[in-house]
Amino acid sequence: MVEEERAPVILQFAPFQSAVDEGFWRRLSSLKLDTLGIDQSPITITGKFELNLFAGFYSPCSHPQVSNHLTLLPESLPPEPGEESSSSAAAAVSRGNRNRCPVPGTLYNTNTLESYYALDKQSLLKAEARKIWEDISSGKAEEESAVLSRFLLISFADLKKWSFHYWFAFPALVLDPPATLIDLKPASQCFTLEEAESLSAACNEWRNSSLTADVPFFLVTIASDSHATIWPLRDWAACQGDGQKLLFGFYDPCHLPNNPGWPLRNFLALICLRWNMEKVRFLCYREKHGFADLGLSLVGEALVSVPQGWKDPHCVPNAVGWELNRGKKVSRCISLRQSMDPTRLAISAADLNLKLMRWRALPSLNLNNLSSIKCLLLGAGTLGCQVARMLMAWGVRKITLLDSGRVAMSNPVRQSLYTFEDCLNGGNMKAMAAVNSLERILPAVEAEGIVMAIPMPGHPVSTQEENSVLEDCRHLQDLITSHDAVFLLTDTRESRWLPTLLCANSNRITITAALGFDSYVVMRHGAGPLNYSSDIKSEGEETLSAQMGNLSTGGTDERLRLGCYFCNDVVAPIDSTANRTLDQQCTVTRPGIAPIASAIAVELLVGILHHPDGMLAPGEIATSHSGSSEQPLGILPHQIRGSLSQYSQMTLVGHSSNSCTACCSTVVSEYRRRGMDFVLQAINHPTYLEDLTGLTELMKSTSSFEVDWDDETDENDNDGI
Amino acid sequence: MDICSSWDGTLSSSDFRVAATTLSKKWKVINPVFPPWTWVPCPRRPFWVASSDSEVDGYLSLENFYQLSSNEVGHRCSIETQALNNLVDVLCSYKSSPAKEELVNCGKEEPVDNATLVQSDDQEMHFYDFHIVYSNSYRVPVLYFRGYQSDGQLLALDEIERDLPLNSLKILRESKWTFMTQEEHPYLNRPWYTLHPCGTSEWMKLLFLGGDSQTKDGPTIQQQYLVSWLSVVGQAVGLRIPLEMINNSCPLYPVNSVTLSNEVND
Repeated sequence: MVEEERAPVILQFAPFQSAVDEGFWRRLSSLKLDTLGIDQSPITITGKFELNLFAGFYSPCSHPQVSNHLTLLPESLPPEPGEESSSSAAAAVSRGNRNRCPVPGTLYNTNTLESYYALDKQSLLKAEARKIWEDISSGKAEEESAVLSRFLLISFADLKKWSFHYWFAFPALVLDPPATLIDLKPASQCFTLEEAESLSAACNEWRNSSLTADVPFFLVTIASDSHATIWPLRDWAACQGDGQKLLFGFYDPCHLPNNPGWPLRNFLALICLRWNMEKVRFLCYREKHGFADLGLSLVGEALVSVPQGWKDPHCVPNAVGWELNRGKKVSRCISLRQSMDPTRLAISAADLNLKLMRWRALPSLNLNNLSSIKCLLLGAGTLGCQVARMLMAWGVRKITLLDSGRVAMSNPVRQSLYTFEDCLNGGNMKAMAAVNSLERILPAVEAEGIVMAIPMPGHPVSTQEENSVLEDCRHLQDLITSHDAVFLLTDTRESRWLPTLLCANSNRITITAALGFDSYVVMRHGAGPLNYSSDIKSEGEETLSAQMGNLSTGGTDERLRLGCYFCNDVVAPIDSTANRTLDQQCTVTRPGIAPIASAIAVELLVGILHHPDGMLAPGEIATSHSGSSEQPLGILPHQIRGSLSQYSQMTLVGHSSNSCTACCSTVVSEYRRRGMDFVLQAINHPTYLEDLTGLTELMKSTSSFEVDWDDETDENDNDGI
Repeated sequence: MDICSSWDGTLSSSDFRVAATTLSKKWKVINPVFPPWTWVPCPRRPFWVASSDSEVDGYLSLENFYQLSSNEVGHRCSIETQALNNLVDVLCSYKSSPAKEELVNCGKEEPVDNATLVQSDDQEMHFYDFHIVYSNSYRVPVLYFRGYQSDGQLLALDEIERDLPLNSLKILRESKWTFMTQEEHPYLNRPWYTLHPCGTSEWMKLLFLGGDSQTKDGPTIQQQYLVSWLSVVGQAVGLRIPLEMINNSCPLYPVNSVTLSNEVND
């Protein structure tokens, strides 16, 4: 009062701040999907739909440094279909919740970003302000004070990107001239001790009764005997006694010591319009630890005057209230991709198991190696399907499947990537059907299908076919050099010859799985016999296996190379399907064999990837006592042979043969020298390879050639589908 | 339940409820500054799993636990300076991110209103919600949590890690039993971050068997379990709990007479 000549201080209100729970956007998304559909043109003429929200929520400020926000929760929206019952119960619970004072609101959700931008925000705000104005004029606001605060939300839900554009408004009627401040200070400085105690007690009682806990506007009287009473607005008349102090109280979400919060604005409008007050004492009610705190609460005194024109019944006052975004008038955007994009969720969920494995059991597990390695699967049958699945389980994401066949009716029960639908209309190409299936299993997989037959020795080609066969050979060569690991999973022995040669030439990790009726062999091929310099231009130059191959190029001392699938054979591959009965051709194996062999093949790959020597690692033999290997994944064998008839399995080592028809240096050198001519000759002349490698000589000189296990499983030429 | 050497460190679901009640009460008494732990009943159980103890269904929830990125961190849930600086860095880079905000032609400008307080830059805050959910598979409590900015934008794992005090990061990196993963919240069916429970029973067993022997009138395992569990797990996520919480001499409310619902918030 000392500075009365000073210009009047305009009372400034701290704007409401919005907060939207992630769950709100989720429910809005499903609501939109259920009611509007995502790809359809706008259903309503205006291209938007309007929802009367149940409510946003707020509560009095409860922290000296943090304002409370107006919060939208999933419960702010109508319940999703199918959960009506439970959420109606939830709605019943939420009434009278002291932490959730409802604020009525309206949502305009547009169908396109363009229409979102095109919304006439001023008119929308004005329409909301009109509702407040009418509720004040009609007296409804005195009965149900929650309608004094309202909010408006415009939004565009981009459900394909899981992003939400939105903008809040908290409409406030503008007093013109604005209210001026006489005094504002902590409530604790405005009362006697007795008054303060009584006021706190009354407030706490109000806040703890389920009838009044969520009623945000109220009247406070303090009688001359210091007794404080809190009244709902409708009891205005009862508060008019002489000799008592009257305060207009409201739940203040704001924490600032020098400003009241936003809800006071419309309250002041009501006070001056309905009750013709000019000097208003107000109480900004704030809490601490769930109880009234008069140190944080403010008591202020303001001068208000009814703006000209408000007396006109048709008038709607100006309104303000669009929320600023970091001080600017811009829309907000929130992205929930991370928690809503199912593809992302599937990836992180699939990786979780591997991560757990790494954390708990195998700290050295290299998940990056697994997810970056490129695997080529030759054959998409029983073995190919199962190997692909196992690879995905290990976190391998780059898988190429090569097969020339179609899905037959007999396939789906054994070949785990196919279903009945794949067999219809002549059957889909296996390579493509397998890729589709992998993508359905995990959308993040990078799978590719190649429809191609592998040229085979003993299957002579006519001159007309020559070009296309050579084209296939080159294609296969490119595929192998552009992958890190190759699985040989075809159903004949001779179809493995060319891939074995190409892998030996370019030092790729190569794993073979082959099946008999109730037995299997799984083996990793040794490194190639010659240094692999990238003279064949390939994009695989820096691939994993090339790096691993380079490990060997330094040393000159010949380590014993591990053998390949053909190293122990004394005959070159020939047509193994000719002159066979049907059940021998479509090798009927016990159904459990292929999954066992496939799983072992993939485990073998993972073992190679985690061995410091990679594909050069010497073959290890299982011993009776465990823990003999220093590798966390255990031993890394060369070959695993097993039989279901005895439920037995053993590990073997076989070194490379100098007369191998697929991987010896003679063959690889000849291939390097003559390229496709060599391949063509091998394909067309069955004895050429044997002559070249000296096998013919060898057979002449040796009457019997037997490897110790061969008497047990001699079904190499009886490979599974 | 008495502690004996054969105890495997797990908790039954009904004991979990008892422990939850104790934790909630103790928290409120010792820690009134923090938001409370509130029991959230979950009636949404599929009808075919109706069980006799269906009232146990639910979880403990502590929400709106905030971390200020300002320097006026006078309260106890403040974050340490280094993490704070990191946080400030994040927020600065985040502000300049163009994806976050966009201009909208608003046509007619809102009338100038000098009664609106123009606040200087808003304090950037990160809020955290913590839920303690009982895992039927592991028979232990599991902590689920999420962090978000004041506008509701969820925090990514690396942002959360930057909020954590250094010793929490140390625990997360070096300890075998704690690692954060994103998993579906069992009741809310949205992805939340969680500390995987696979080691919980083991270290809980160590915690109880290795600690002081319980006196006869001391709190039982069911009562003490969650408090002890939280004292360990909370450290990993920056939710520190006062020593008094763990102290057995702290008076316990009679657990049977307490119902948890509609607790006051802060």
